[in-house]
Amino acid sequence: MITVTDLKKVYRSRGRETAALDGVDLRVREGEVFGVVGRSGAGKSTLIRCINLLERPDSGTVTVAGQDLTALTGRELRAARTRIGMIFQHFNLLSARTVQDNVELPLEILGLSGQERARKALELLDLVGLADRAKAYPAQLSGGQKQRVGIARALAGDPQVLLSDEATSALDPETTRSVLELLRELNRELGLTVLLITHEMDVVKAVCDSAALMRSGRITESGTLDELLATPGSEIAAQLFPVGGEAYGAESTIVDITFHGDARGRPVISHLSRTYNLDVSILGAAMDTVGGRQVGRMRIELPGPYEENVVPLGFLREQGLQIDLVGVDAADLPALESAK
Amino acid sequence: MSWTEIRPELLTGLWETLAMVGWAALIAVVAGTPLGVLLVLTDRGRPLQNVLVNRVIGLVVNIGRSLPFIILLLALTAFTRSLVGTSIGLKGAIVPLAISAIPFFARLVETAVREVDAGLAEAVQSMGGSTWTVVRKALLPQALPSLVAGLTTTVIALVGYSAMAGAVGGGGLGDVAIRYGYQRYEGDVMLVTVVLLVVLVNVVQLIGDFFVRSLSDRSTRGAAYLRVSRPARAGVTAVAGVALVGSLTVGTANLTSDGGDGGADTVTVAATPAPHGEILTFVKDNLAADAGIDLRVREFTDYVKPNEAVANGEVDANFFQHTPFLDDYNDKNGTDIVPTVGVLVEPLGLYSDEADDVSGIGGGDTVAVPNDTTNEGRALHLLDAEGLIELKDGTGLNATLGDIADDRGLDIQELEAAQTPRALQDVDAAVINGNYAIDSGLDPKSDAIALEQAEGNPYVNILAVQADDADDPQIRKLGELLNSPETKAFMEKEFPSSVPVFGPVG
Repeated sequence: MITVTDLKKVYRSRGRETAALDGVDLRVREGEVFGVVGRSGAGKSTLIRCINLLERPDSGTVTVAGQDLTALTGRELRAARTRIGMIFQHFNLLSARTVQDNVELPLEILGLSGQERARKALELLDLVGLADRAKAYPAQLSGGQKQRVGIARALAGDPQVLLSDEATSALDPETTRSVLELLRELNRELGLTVLLITHEMDVVKAVCDSAALMRSGRITESGTLDELLATPGSEIAAQLFPVGGEAYGAESTIVDITFHGDARGRPVISHLSRTYNLDVSILGAAMDTVGGRQVGRMRIELPGPYEENVVPLGFLREQGLQIDLVGVDAADLPALESAK
Repeated sequence: MSWTEIRPELLTGLWETLAMVGWAALIAVVAGTPLGVLLVLTDRGRPLQNVLVNRVIGLVVNIGRSLPFIILLLALTAFTRSLVGTSIGLKGAIVPLAISAIPFFARLVETAVREVDAGLAEAVQSMGGSTWTVVRKALLPQALPSLVAGLTTTVIALVGYSAMAGAVGGGGLGDVAIRYGYQRYEGDVMLVTVVLLVVLVNVVQLIGDFFVRSLSDRSTRGAAYLRVSRPARAGVTAVAGVALVGSLTVGTANLTSDGGDGGADTVTVAATPAPHGEILTFVKDNLAADAGIDLRVREFTDYVKPNEAVANGEVDANFFQHTPFLDDYNDKNGTDIVPTVGVLVEPLGLYSDEADDVSGIGGGDTVAVPNDTTNEGRALHLLDAEGLIELKDGTGLNATLGDIADDRGLDIQELEAAQTPRALQDVDAAVINGNYAIDSGLDPKSDAIALEQAEGNPYVNILAVQADDADDPQIRKLGELLNSPETKAFMEKEFPSSVPVFGPVG
C-alpha cells in the first residue's frame, strides 16, 4: 500500500548539513498497522511528512496505493492527500471551530454541501464515540477526546491510509490504550492501512503487525513482529520483550529463549535438564501478548562456557525455539549455527 | 467662546474624525491583511517561501512605518490627488491616513498570523488544502482575536494621526483642538475636545476588548465562551455596526459636499484660522451675498497647503501670507501665484516678561525667533532695527543666523512661529507674529517692547490667486470687499493689533 524507495532528505542550516533521511526503504502492506520506532532525531517525523509530501524529499519515491506521489504537484498532489488521513501528536484542531466543524473541514475542502458535511461529520463522530460532543469546542475536551476528533477528521475523506505522527505521545497510558484500541478497530473494520511513528515500544506491542527501527536517518531493521521476534539479535524484539536477570556463576552461558507457536505448551526445560544432566537456572521469564499473539521469553543460565554447551543449545534449537546468546557478539553466532 | 458656538464645530469635528478614521481603517484592513499574511507566507520555512519578496515587502512596510505622519501627509499630495481628485479636505486626509495605517496594520497582522500554531497549517495541508485554504480556514480564523486587537490599536493610532489632518484642511476633532485650543488659546474648547477624544479612544478600546474577549473565550478552557451572553454580544455588535456605518455614510455625505470648486459663482478661499479666516467669514456673512459671490472659506493649519491648493486649482484663492513668503514659495515650487490686494499687516513684535523696554535686553540674554524663512528674516531685521544685533551689509529679507555680523552677546533660539508665545517663560524675550501674540492674550500695542513699522512694511498680508485669475471679476470683487470700510471697521474692532493696509499689490 505504501512503498518508500531510497528516500533522502538533507536539512541545511547555517552551512551545516544534517541528513534526516539517508536512503530509507519501507514497504507497508495493505491492511496492516506498521510502526516506525526510533529515538527523537532519528528522522521518523521527516519520514512520515515525506509520505504525504508535507515535506518534499530530495530524492527517492513514495508510492501510495499505486500512485507515485513524488511525481505529483499542485492540484494533483492535493487530491492525493485527501485520500491519506493524518493525525498529530498535538491534535492540531482549530480552537475557534466546534468539534463538528473541525470534522467538517476536510469535507469543505472536498467541496461537499452543508447537509452532506453535517451528516458525514456526525457519522464519523459516532464512530469515534463523540456524537454527543459535536457542538463543544476543542478546549472543552480531554486529550483523548481531542485525538478522537482528530481521528474522525482524518477519516472524513474515506482514506485508505492513515498516517499517525506520535498520536499518543501527549496522552496518559490509560488514554493511550483506548486511542490505540480505536485505531486497531478502524484498521480491522475499515481495512484501513495505518503507518504510525512513535518512540514508545508499548505502542508497537499494542497495535502493530509490523515494525521498523529507525536510527540516524536509516531503517536498521524491519519486518512483521513475528519475523522480528524470530530474528536473532533483533533490537526491536529485545525491546519489545525484555527479560532481565544477572548471571550467578562466573563461568556460565546465558541464553534467552523465545517461545512462540506450538513451543509454548511443551516442557522443554525439564527435558533439557534430564537429557543432558544439566543444572539449569532460570534468571527471568515472562509471557506477553505481542501483535495479538501470546509470546513467552525466558533467560536461563547453563554451567560452563559456551563451548561446553553447544550440544544442549542445539537440542533447544531443534525443539523450534529461538535462542539468543547474551553477551556474545553477533559475529560469534555462525559458530553456533555450525555447531548445530 | 460659547457652547452654542462651539457645539456645531465639535459635532462636525467628531463626524469628520469618525469618517476619516473609519475609511482609513477600512482601507488598512483590506490592504494590510494580505500584506501581513504575505509577510508570513513568504518567510523561511513557510509555504510560499521567497526571500526576495519577503525582504521587499518588509522594506516597503518599514519605510511606510518610519515616515512621520505629517511628512507623509504633505509628501503624498500628488499621489492623493491622482487617486481621489483632490489633496485637501476629508478625502485628501483619508488617503495619507490609510497609507500610514496599512503598514502599521500589516505588521500587526503578521504578528497575529505568525502566532498561529504551524501544526494547524500542516493539518489543513494534509487534508489536501491549498495555501489559500490554509489562510482562509486556519490562519485568519485562528488569528481573529489578535487581528481584532490589532485593528483596535490601529483605529486608536488613526485617531491620533487624524489630529494632524487640519494641515490639509481635513478637519476632525484634533483639528478643532489645534485651531481653537492651540492657535486661538481657547482653553475650554481644547479641554472639551480633548475629553471627547479621550472618550472616543476609550469607547473604541472597550468595543475592541469586548470582541477580543468574546472571540477568544471559546478557545480557552471550559465553557468560558458562554461568559459573554448572547444579548450582550448582539448589543455591542449593533453599537459598533451603527458607529461604523454612521461614520462612513455621514462622513461620506460630508465628503461629497466639500468639493473645492462649487458652482460658477463660488469662490473658495484657503486661509489660516485667525485673523484671516475670521475676516473672510465676516465678508462671507455680511458682504458677499450682496455682491453676488458665493464665498466659501476653508481653514488650514499649515502654511504650505494653502499655496499648493491654489496652484493646483483646488481652491480659487488664499489669504494667509505676505508677498515675500509668496515669492519664496513661487521660487521654490515654480508656481505662478500672484498677489491681488493687500489687506493688513501684522506687525512682528518683540515681547518680554523680564524687560520693560529694549534697553533691558542685552548680552547673555536668550531671544526666541520664528524658524520659518521669512518670519526669521523679518525677526532678525526687527532686532537689527532696534540695535540688538547687527546684520551684515546688504542682507536681504530672508536673513538667517548666518547673516548676523554681531550678535552683541545674544543667544538666538529658533522656534516654530506658533510656539514663540509659549516660549516667553523660558527665554528673556521672543519675537512673535501679531496673530499669535493676540491669540496668546498679548496686546501688541501695549505689551510689545518693540514693534515693526506698518508704513512701507513689505509684509502686508495679501489675497493671492493664480496669475490667470488675477483679472477674474469675482476675485476683483472679493478684493474690493476685503478693502471695504465695513471690513476695516470689523478688523479694527476684532483685531486691534492688525493694521489695515489696503490697496492693490504686485
